[in-house]
Amino acid sequence: MSSITVTMVVSALVFTIGACGVLLRRNPLVQFMSIELMLNAVNLAFISFGGMNGSAEGQVFVLMVLTVAAAEAVIGLGIIVAMFRRRRRIDVDDVNTMEG
Amino acid sequence: MIVEQVVLIIAGALALVSALGVVLMPNAVYSALMLLLNLVSLATIFLLLHAQFMFAAQLIVYAGAILVLFLFVVTLLNPQGENILRDKHRLQQGGAITLGLVLACVLVGGLLYAFTSGTQPDLATSVTQTGSTYGSVEAFGQALFTQFLLPFELTSLLLLVALIGAVVLGKRK
Repeated sequence: MSSITVTMVVSALVFTIGACGVLLRRNPLVQFMSIELMLNAVNLAFISFGGMNGSAEGQVFVLMVLTVAAAEAVIGLGIIVAMFRRRRRIDVDDVNTMEG
Repeated sequence: MIVEQVVLIIAGALALVSALGVVLMPNAVYSALMLLLNLVSLATIFLLLHAQFMFAAQLIVYAGAILVLFLFVVTLLNPQGENILRDKHRLQQGGAITLGLVLACVLVGGLLYAFTSGTQPDLATSVTQTGSTYGSVEAFGQALFTQFLLPFELTSLLLLVALIGAVVLGKRK
């Protein structure tokens, strides 16, 4: 088995585990970590295909994903902290209104 | 070559185990530490795929910045532990696991079918012909600042929006 096959299978499985984590956990912090897992799996797929074609373009996309992940973590954690200030506990089921 | 294969298998197995750990650990702090292990093993795989710049960026940005932010918020909020094995939403859990298994089967099956039916994919062999590899900082910078200059500049706008958003969200009323 070539190394690309191994990395692509690892990428697919990590993505699946991340998706299951978002569905299974009720703590928004752990759900965020699962989203990071999924983003990382996609990064691995980009770099694998980039290595397969011998071009640096896959890595440029990974840099974009890295930026989006950083921005998303900042905003998401800000929302979670604001949620905690209001309700004193964090559970995704408690969040059912849009007003701030 | 055989050493690279062994390291790749170990790093891949470690990435899978730590990803499971993120989902299954009852305490969110342990989940964050498992995420750190996952990021480091993925960075190792990046290095094996000749993506040296991405290896460094992964460690600095993810393991250095994002994970510290996560750990900070986890310790600040101190959420109660939850054991998903003793969760009362049985039907929802069953559905989630079934969907996960279906997704895994489709993805892995599709990949293995595509990789075994056509030509065997492998790392590009043009690594050492030009003197610099495609994953080096030189090749990466060349692509980033010529072909992908506009997307790169737009990223700064995204970071600015995130910065302003964080300030607005964190403001006390």
